[in-house]
Amino acid sequence: MLNLIGIVGTNSDQSTNRQLLQFIQKHFADQANIEICEIKDLPAFNKPKENQAPEEVQALAAKITAADGVIISTPEYNHSIPAILKSVLEWLSYTSQPLVDKPLMITGASYGKLGSSRAQSHLRQILDAPELKARIMPSSEFLVGYSLQAFDEEGNLKDANKVSELEDIFNDFTQFIEITNHLVSKNPTKKAQKFSWEDN
Amino acid sequence: MKIVGIVGSNADFSYNHQLLNFIAKQYKQLVEIEVLDIKDVPMFNQSDDQTDSAPIQHLNEKITEADGVIIATPEYNHSIPSALQSVIEWLSFKIHPLDGKPVMIVGASYDVQGSSRSQLHLRQILDAPGVNAVVMPGNEFLLGEVHKAFDEEGDLKDAETAKFLESCIKKFIRFINVVNVLNAPEGMKDLSSAEDLYATGSIDTTIQGIDMMADDWVEQAAEATGAVDGDTYVKLDRGILTVNQLNHFLNSMPAELTYADSNNQFLYYNHHLDAEEMFASRRPEQVGYPLAECHPKQAFSGVSWVIQQLRKGKQDVVKTHVPTHGPDKFVVHNYQAIRDEEGNYLGINEYVQDIKPIIDWYLEQTGQQLTGGDVDAVSGATSKVDTVSGATVKG
Repeated sequence: MLNLIGIVGTNSDQSTNRQLLQFIQKHFADQANIEICEIKDLPAFNKPKENQAPEEVQALAAKITAADGVIISTPEYNHSIPAILKSVLEWLSYTSQPLVDKPLMITGASYGKLGSSRAQSHLRQILDAPELKARIMPSSEFLVGYSLQAFDEEGNLKDANKVSELEDIFNDFTQFIEITNHLVSKNPTKKAQKFSWEDN
Repeated sequence: MKIVGIVGSNADFSYNHQLLNFIAKQYKQLVEIEVLDIKDVPMFNQSDDQTDSAPIQHLNEKITEADGVIIATPEYNHSIPSALQSVIEWLSFKIHPLDGKPVMIVGASYDVQGSSRSQLHLRQILDAPGVNAVVMPGNEFLLGEVHKAFDEEGDLKDAETAKFLESCIKKFIRFINVVNVLNAPEGMKDLSSAEDLYATGSIDTTIQGIDMMADDWVEQAAEATGAVDGDTYVKLDRGILTVNQLNHFLNSMPAELTYADSNNQFLYYNHHLDAEEMFASRRPEQVGYPLAECHPKQAFSGVSWVIQQLRKGKQDVVKTHVPTHGPDKFVVHNYQAIRDEEGNYLGINEYVQDIKPIIDWYLEQTGQQLTGGDVDAVSGATSKVDTVSGATVKG
């Protein structure tokens, strides 16, 4: 059984990305234990002189390190990801870098029809930075548009096509985790010693 | 021209702060630049609206009043810092001070990239409908290996780099003027020649033989015409007042009043405030000037357009709101056509008002509320509902 972490990419009380992760958690319960992690109470990143993360961030980092893979579900704010999600990634990259070599899948939901498409492409570029260096599953994109109407009262995705699309992607992800672990076990990344964005 | 420079990092020490300080110092002959920090702005959270907090309102006020904005961004993880992202989310949620505002992007980084990737992200973010800034294209200023770039006085060591930066700043000043034309009503065409703004002609009431530019035009013109003043009675339609009563009456109007005749000469304003206290400043010696001498050249096309609307009877009043007095004032300039009984155009009654106290009073009396943050200017492939998933809440 896989152990996965699902990160809700927003600090909003109401979030269809949270709903999406809850659905994934429930729907794939026979294949994976998925723990949903909130970032809403994490402090804002401010680049402290000592590279020490606050306790809440350390707790999240420890969970990521222990997990077989990570799913991030992001909304779209201003053609990009929310500042709070970016802040968490800054903390992780600035401190223990738990995402390095970690298999990662991106999903997203938005109220409009575009389903967070631009936010997801920004997130990919960000996760590709050397201090994050997550192993993002390529050639996959799961977008939920009109997300306020997408779920029924039990929190299930209403559209059967969408569910089967998600099943395919999740199946890919389980295999991707295996392949990635094989790849990185032979040649693990040395964590960056010096940050390219130091002192700017 | 006033520009604000926003430091895109909340770190205690920031080379981007240093870069903006250098720009403000080096090019102060060209433009006035105030450098602003974002350290105190809280993390954006749509469930905890802090739009009214002091740090956000401070930025809102400064940006609204500015003619343009320069953002200096570092690069964190191939993108802009979360602190800058959070600021932009606040400024696109309930308030939209960047809407239509000319913006220039610069950036410095420790590595050779010079913030190249974060500048591209920032462009895309500023293009989102809730933000809707007008970002200057091209003129990309990337300062790589910034820890080696400045000398002890905080000046750029490399003369070529400073020269290129100066050319970018000069372009930006011109860009601001271009954007102003874009934002002007029907500003596609230069209409400056449609009106005789230098008042070279004359009409029946033009007072001849006096230099329009004379500081004491009013005194000279009064002498030439034998104009009455003081306690002399004047018969009006309908009533009789002394000139003093008439003056006090006009000065008590809840607006700044200006009369310009159909020859485009500035003849009168209700002078009871100093120029600095007025929304549209006038000085006593300006009375008598042709309208061309009361406006900067780049405004001529807009001024001519307004006069043409009134002269040709296309509109009876042209209104424009002027946001540069800050978010706590709703200043409206009204250009009302003055016509005689037959409808002939006699000139402009310009009245300038802050209508916010009126709106506030009315809302308080009736218990109604303004619903803000409604962005209708959504364009391109983005549907309006997508704006909601951006940091904009519909009213």
